[in-house]
Amino acid sequence: MTRLTRNNLDRWVEALLAERIRVVGPVMQAGQPVYAPISRPSALDFSSVIPRNSIKDFLFPQTETVMLYTIRKTGVEVTDAKPAGGEFPDTVILGARPCDAAGMTSLRAVFTWQGEEDPLFLERLARTTVVTLACVRGDACCFCTSVGLAPDAPAGSDLLLRETVDGNFSVEAVTDKGTHLLARWAQYFEEGAETLRPVIPPPVIERSNVEKMLGWLSDPANYSHEVWSEHAAQCLGCGACTYVCPTCHCFDLTDEGTAYQGDRRKNWDACQFDHFAAHASGHNPRALQSQRWRNRFMCKFHFYPTKFSAAGCVGCGRCIRVCYVGLDIAEMMEKVSACADRQVPDA
Amino acid sequence: MRNLYLPHLTTIKTAVQETFDTWTFELEFQDPALRESFVFQPGQFGLLSAFGAGESTLTLASGSLRRGSVDVTFRKIGRVTGALASLNTGDTIGFRGPYGNRFPMELFKGKNLLFIAGGIGLPAVTSVLYDALAARGEYGTITVLYGARSSRDLVYQRQIAEWERRPDVNMVKTVDPWGVTEGWDGMVGLIPVVLEKINPSPENAVAIMCGPPIMIKFTLQALEKLGFSPEQVYLTLENKMKCGLGKCGRCNVGDLYICKEGPVYTAAQTRRMYPDF
Repeated sequence: MTRLTRNNLDRWVEALLAERIRVVGPVMQAGQPVYAPISRPSALDFSSVIPRNSIKDFLFPQTETVMLYTIRKTGVEVTDAKPAGGEFPDTVILGARPCDAAGMTSLRAVFTWQGEEDPLFLERLARTTVVTLACVRGDACCFCTSVGLAPDAPAGSDLLLRETVDGNFSVEAVTDKGTHLLARWAQYFEEGAETLRPVIPPPVIERSNVEKMLGWLSDPANYSHEVWSEHAAQCLGCGACTYVCPTCHCFDLTDEGTAYQGDRRKNWDACQFDHFAAHASGHNPRALQSQRWRNRFMCKFHFYPTKFSAAGCVGCGRCIRVCYVGLDIAEMMEKVSACADRQVPDA
Repeated sequence: MRNLYLPHLTTIKTAVQETFDTWTFELEFQDPALRESFVFQPGQFGLLSAFGAGESTLTLASGSLRRGSVDVTFRKIGRVTGALASLNTGDTIGFRGPYGNRFPMELFKGKNLLFIAGGIGLPAVTSVLYDALAARGEYGTITVLYGARSSRDLVYQRQIAEWERRPDVNMVKTVDPWGVTEGWDGMVGLIPVVLEKINPSPENAVAIMCGPPIMIKFTLQALEKLGFSPEQVYLTLENKMKCGLGKCGRCNVGDLYICKEGPVYTAAQTRRMYPDF
């Protein structure tokens, strides 16, 4: 078994930072666990169940320049914001949770869909190594086990670390990129036996079934079912759920600058906002908040799996933790599963 | 890797003010190689940049056989179209595209074509009309039913006059009952009503339609009454779009991304869609 002691982890991080590699990991900021770039290993804090933000922030940033423009009397010049290489930082995300890592494979599916490759996301992904730390416990909002994942699911990870009883880590290479990373920094890793910390996985939501939901959601007739308006009646449309979600991919393209020059930006957007899909004419295909809430749920459990062949929900539970009015997607999963049960006649 | 979001540059070659709030620009690609190589199919759209304001989705309104330039028609209604409207001949506009699917022209061959358009919906189907007129012998009768709120809101008045003069085009124009102005020589009435009046035969016909959602809804009912099957009716569903590439997430009707899997659908297909219009 390959292992990494906590001491060696700190030295490895120092070595990475010395090579000007961006290291992102869980840290405490104002009493809250968040993923953030660190400048010293002592900032790392693996004690929280899960940081408030997702690692999406570092692959699909909240705002990103896609193009620069200059307006002159003689015409307009546009410049690619991404000169050959260089601009995107080499990054190691250290201590990502497995649900977060899995979410990046879902984003990749969107950003390469039908051969349309988003160069910004893919370039960042190519320069990022995801070193995941398996969970040993969940909190009341975690439900990865109900969407086909697990506290040590390897999807989206390059290296998978597991905590050992003596405070060190066992190391498993998941991808070639992970193997290369191990070989490159071999001096910090060693062989040896370890006893892993026992894992308490979050309980499976028994009354929820992703397969069953997919069947019910596939029927357009169920789009007008009262379960949607009932459940989403309290939604404020703040969009916080989409910002903390590892798989929410919606964005806006806007120009920001002066009358003569500026940049076109790809900014996070949210299907929860009232103007999101509104036409310039004023017509809005999803004019009600319950319709917008339905759209997000549909995206997670129908559009993602059928369209992008990827998981739309990774069970991180962030949208539940962050919701000001306590809307619970897991509760809706139960309700929709119950609708599916009622619709299928007993054999 | 190619930057999907980087627009081509075009120059406004001609600018025509269609109505008090609507313009048509002929856009010429600045890159000589692109002037040669750019092709699109009827029904496809582009994302037009007014630099500093952003991008807007507009259907390519010229025939697909023209080389070197494309036409777009827009109503000044928001931030980007407002900025576009302030530009003049010689100014630069960004262009991404062509995007989306197309009208299946090969299936229209030998058929009677019924164009139905409302307001700013006409430019979304003119590429089909121009292509059909360019190979007039390959199609049956051509009927164009075009309506607007008032006679002052009709776009393409010069082209309409031309189509009215052609013996091989049945041009029917109409305005809403409260939109008649002095000298109006067309019909009066909402499009579904006028459609039933002109009573086109569904025999060997296809309908090609674009307009505001409320017009589409009632015109589909009228077409059904006339005996058109949903497979005979083609619609172009113009939803709000930002990327045109199936990523930004806003044009979806249920599980369909209109930008990649549309915008052209048959009415039969739209019936199976999630009611997300």
